[in-house]
Amino acid sequence: MTIARAVLLVGSAKPAGTSTSEVLGRYLCARLAERGVATTVLFVGRSPASRAERQLLAALADANLFVLATPVYVDSLPYLVTRTLEYVSQSAPKWRAPCAFAALINCGFPEPEQCRTALDIAQAFAARAGLDWAGGLALGEGGAIDGGPLERLGGLTRHVRAALDLAAAALAEGHPVPPAAIARLARLMMPARLYTLMGNIGWRRRAARNDLRSPLDARPFDLDAKG
Amino acid sequence: MPGWSRRARALPPGLIPDMRALILNGALAGDEGLRPIEEALGSALSARGCAVERIRLRDVFIAYCKGCFDCWVKTPGVCATKDGAGSITRAMARSDLIVLLSPITFGGYSSELKKVLDRSIGIVSPFFTRLHGEVHHKPRYARYPALLAIGVTEDRDPAEAQIFARLVDRNAINYHAPAHVAAIVSRDDSPGQIRTAIGRAVAQLLVQGGAA
Repeated sequence: MTIARAVLLVGSAKPAGTSTSEVLGRYLCARLAERGVATTVLFVGRSPASRAERQLLAALADANLFVLATPVYVDSLPYLVTRTLEYVSQSAPKWRAPCAFAALINCGFPEPEQCRTALDIAQAFAARAGLDWAGGLALGEGGAIDGGPLERLGGLTRHVRAALDLAAAALAEGHPVPPAAIARLARLMMPARLYTLMGNIGWRRRAARNDLRSPLDARPFDLDAKG
Repeated sequence: MPGWSRRARALPPGLIPDMRALILNGALAGDEGLRPIEEALGSALSARGCAVERIRLRDVFIAYCKGCFDCWVKTPGVCATKDGAGSITRAMARSDLIVLLSPITFGGYSSELKKVLDRSIGIVSPFFTRLHGEVHHKPRYARYPALLAIGVTEDRDPAEAQIFARLVDRNAINYHAPAHVAAIVSRDDSPGQIRTAIGRAVAQLLVQGGAA
């Protein structure tokens, strides 16, 4: 079965055009489009039963592929994504044709394995919503992309693009995400020690721009603190 | 880490007076099925001497996390968005035990509970460290509460139960919880079965924490 229509749901709460999830999802969509798949990009709604959620449900009614691109928040899917998936599941959509569901999940830790629980939750959603699980892709070191275009990051993201190319080729033909794509995406963009060092420097730099009144390691809720 | 509460260490078995327990009820709108479980949790913890605070999250206005990281780099430890999440996060940081009560949602927490958990990341430091062979955020505070997660299921789906248990394990690492237990109860369980499951989970937590 080839895929005619795909819907990408971007799960990041960041403004459009600024998230790593959107960058990854749009890259995958572009590759699907090259293979003749009509793609629609939607964002998670900011309020319950919002227009965005109704739009998603309407788009899914005609889709054969639903892709969720999202960050991990606290070991699982973010609130906005959870609420949207609750809505989709509770709305008990009548799929006009079999619809596959794939998840593309990134986290800020180096280990892609830290996306595992979120991927499992996505798979469980597919089972509850009557969607065919097409597999999940996990990316660690998401902070290295930080919402920037994959192509401009050059060699750093070469394996990321190759992994998404492989995934798109399979998904467009109605196949699940191949193990080779999962393995490629799981490769680190840089050694974990370098990533965490740069991350720690990055937090200090961002804080320095904010003219902080308290140190980064402040303990405002300590029992002996006021308030 | 032995001794999940400073106060619990030197106490007689099973008694934990003066400990603060915070129950976060993640029931969605219209779901009254978690209320008896919340009552049973409150009774079980009060009977052991805990000071129990109960919050039904859907009754509190809490905005979504914008992913801005201001709680790390602008107002360290405090979310910059001012709403009901501020006092809840403070109560979380100051409690000895956080109880996460939620309908199991695809193996995870309900959106109501997830909303406040997303807003609580300021409890830890932005800086990275290695724990259990992985990179995690450093603790911000000297001590952290234990975690007790009660997942409420309709059909006891084994795959979702497994995901729920693993999620709580992962949360315990990232929240630096000195002890944690995940338990599952069914909406069809009798009040006696619910009390038994909760009693077992609390006892397990005390054993883990070295207070039993």
